[in-house]
Amino acid sequence: MPHIATTLLQHRELIWALAIKTITLRYKQAYLGVLWTILRPVMLVLIFMLVRAFVGIDSGDIPYPILTFAALMPWMLFQEATTDAVSSIVNNATLIRKIYFPREVFPLTAVVTKLIEFAISICILVALMLYYHVPPTIHLLWVPLIVAYVVLVSLTIGFAGAALYVYSRDIGSILPVALSLLMYASPVMYPLALVKRKLLDERLAGDWSEFLYTVYTANPLAGIIDAFQRTVLVGTAPDFGALIAGAVLIVTCLPLSYILFKNAEGYFADSV
Amino acid sequence: MSSIIEVNHVSKEFKLGQLQSVTSAFRALVTRNEPRRPRSPFLALDDVHFSVQEGEVVGIIGHNGAGKSTLLKILSRITVPSKGNVTVRGRIAPLIEVGAGLIGDLTGRENIFLNGAILGLSKKQISKKFDEIVAFAELEKFIDTPLKKYSSGMAVRLGFSVAISVDADILIVDEVLAVGDIAFQKKCLDRMEDIIVGGHRTVLVVGHNIRQLERMCSRMLLMNRGRMVLDGDPAEVCNRFFQETGQKISSQAAAGPRTVKPVIDLGVVRLLGVHLVGSRVDDVSATIPIHSGMRVRFTIEATRRIVRPEFVIGAHTIDMVYVFSMTSAATAVTDLPEGVSEIECEIPEIPLAPGEYEISMAVFDQLRNMLWGANNLHPFCVTPGDITRVHDVGLTHLKCAWHIRSPGRSDIVDPACASDVLQASANGVL
Repeated sequence: MPHIATTLLQHRELIWALAIKTITLRYKQAYLGVLWTILRPVMLVLIFMLVRAFVGIDSGDIPYPILTFAALMPWMLFQEATTDAVSSIVNNATLIRKIYFPREVFPLTAVVTKLIEFAISICILVALMLYYHVPPTIHLLWVPLIVAYVVLVSLTIGFAGAALYVYSRDIGSILPVALSLLMYASPVMYPLALVKRKLLDERLAGDWSEFLYTVYTANPLAGIIDAFQRTVLVGTAPDFGALIAGAVLIVTCLPLSYILFKNAEGYFADSV
Repeated sequence: MSSIIEVNHVSKEFKLGQLQSVTSAFRALVTRNEPRRPRSPFLALDDVHFSVQEGEVVGIIGHNGAGKSTLLKILSRITVPSKGNVTVRGRIAPLIEVGAGLIGDLTGRENIFLNGAILGLSKKQISKKFDEIVAFAELEKFIDTPLKKYSSGMAVRLGFSVAISVDADILIVDEVLAVGDIAFQKKCLDRMEDIIVGGHRTVLVVGHNIRQLERMCSRMLLMNRGRMVLDGDPAEVCNRFFQETGQKISSQAAAGPRTVKPVIDLGVVRLLGVHLVGSRVDDVSATIPIHSGMRVRFTIEATRRIVRPEFVIGAHTIDMVYVFSMTSAATAVTDLPEGVSEIECEIPEIPLAPGEYEISMAVFDQLRNMLWGANNLHPFCVTPGDITRVHDVGLTHLKCAWHIRSPGRSDIVDPACASDVLQASANGVL
């Protein structure tokens, strides 16, 4: 962790320049430009609303569109940052074969790029909050921490994934499938409260209920999405019970993932 | 004095061949066949060991695949050695390939900032040097145009200008001097030499333009098949390199008939043979003592009568620098009849510095249209005779006499004068 922070600090200008490059390139020849950043979650919200019309998902007191949008924001940040971080080494093969700087710059850049786009989608969230009369509270101060946590989760998969992707292009096919499965296993379409009620209150799985709930929350995104919705929409502090299992997993895996990446980086130029 | 770069017994191994897919590995397992082909290791660098002092300008030469670029990649930390280690004290600016990371969709200005950042410059430093970079690349007018609209030369100029503006203790240069047109190349070379002379920078440079390197470097390394063959004075290393190249070419010549690839062939003339005749000339690798003569004999077949032809015979170095050419235009040449003819050009004295050369020949018609022309027709080697130390600057070696007059003494002639040499070789003392 301190290592990553040092790299981030020392190479902040390079990371910034590369991130700006990625964003400029993405939108330079697209007529809708930055609008695409907003359109993607908005379209997903519309699809979810359609699905909900058939299935019926209880969203509690909060209007469903803003609830899912608030779930999609951290989810899409995670999903896109992870995907880009994993492919960052392979996609920058030309640079990697020719110039040296610490290779973690590439996954970090991928994540920073997505953070910039995340900032843009905040505008939509504000607009939705105004429309549905959701007042901001002091608990909004949790948001930067939650976002930082999302970044760590993305990097955990990103570092190891990027290193493995260099040696096995199978990762490129596995990752999108795994991520879309993970989306259904995360409280994006439905609120975490629903899972909690079914498992902890109604004990739907009998004796296994507590265990299943822990397994469910071992997915860091479960706690993250719930925390984001709570702090932004409900106006309460995060539910730490839902965060703990995932946090333990990330704290264990991030160092391992980073060590794997650092050990592999010397051979990237030979194999990529 | 401690050295700024230390390379300790470095080896780099690559695995040849392809990774097997899971299915083929599985099939091999099921059918109990051995895997199709084991991936054999290949040593790109084999126990390379040297150190570089601060301020040295070191050139690294060698044939393709000698391991030069791999060595530079290890020094600039792009890849790691399989065995041994490298210590570098100081900041490295790797100019492995200029323009790595230039993006077509960005403007020249955006590219300067991006490329500067990639090379480790801060935004402030780039802003400070921005005008200088643009001026050096001569791109003032196009700086806000997307790079994809640039000509390739313009893009390379931009890349080089950014790269050269990096302040570092050690510059690692790989073939970058072959950029742009001649005028820009000259400018780059001047800039490189400014850096070399002005700063106390250490420079490692790889290239195939041996003569250019010889002029720039204070020390040279010769590599062959991953091994360090020679490490020393540029003149010595270059001579050895040319000698080896010459030997390689001669052995290729000896190995079989060399295929002549004419530059121009209008189908009128066909070359049947080339022979060098002269003192100590055997036909495989003609060796000619310095300042002696030779005759070049061509056998050609004309498919039709050629009216008042003109023949040009010349010589060039292995790296294709033409050193002389003689035309038959001044001599009254009779028409060339249809069929086989023999043409001989007698050169009474060859004033070339010792080294390996090649013969070239061309045939023109009366209107000076080239009917046939080719290079690399026959190798020959000029030997130093019994001059123990030939100062190998330049391609030619002229006969001269030295007269040194100082008060109290008169007419002292240097004993190592070339006329003595001529005498010696005429006597057959070699």
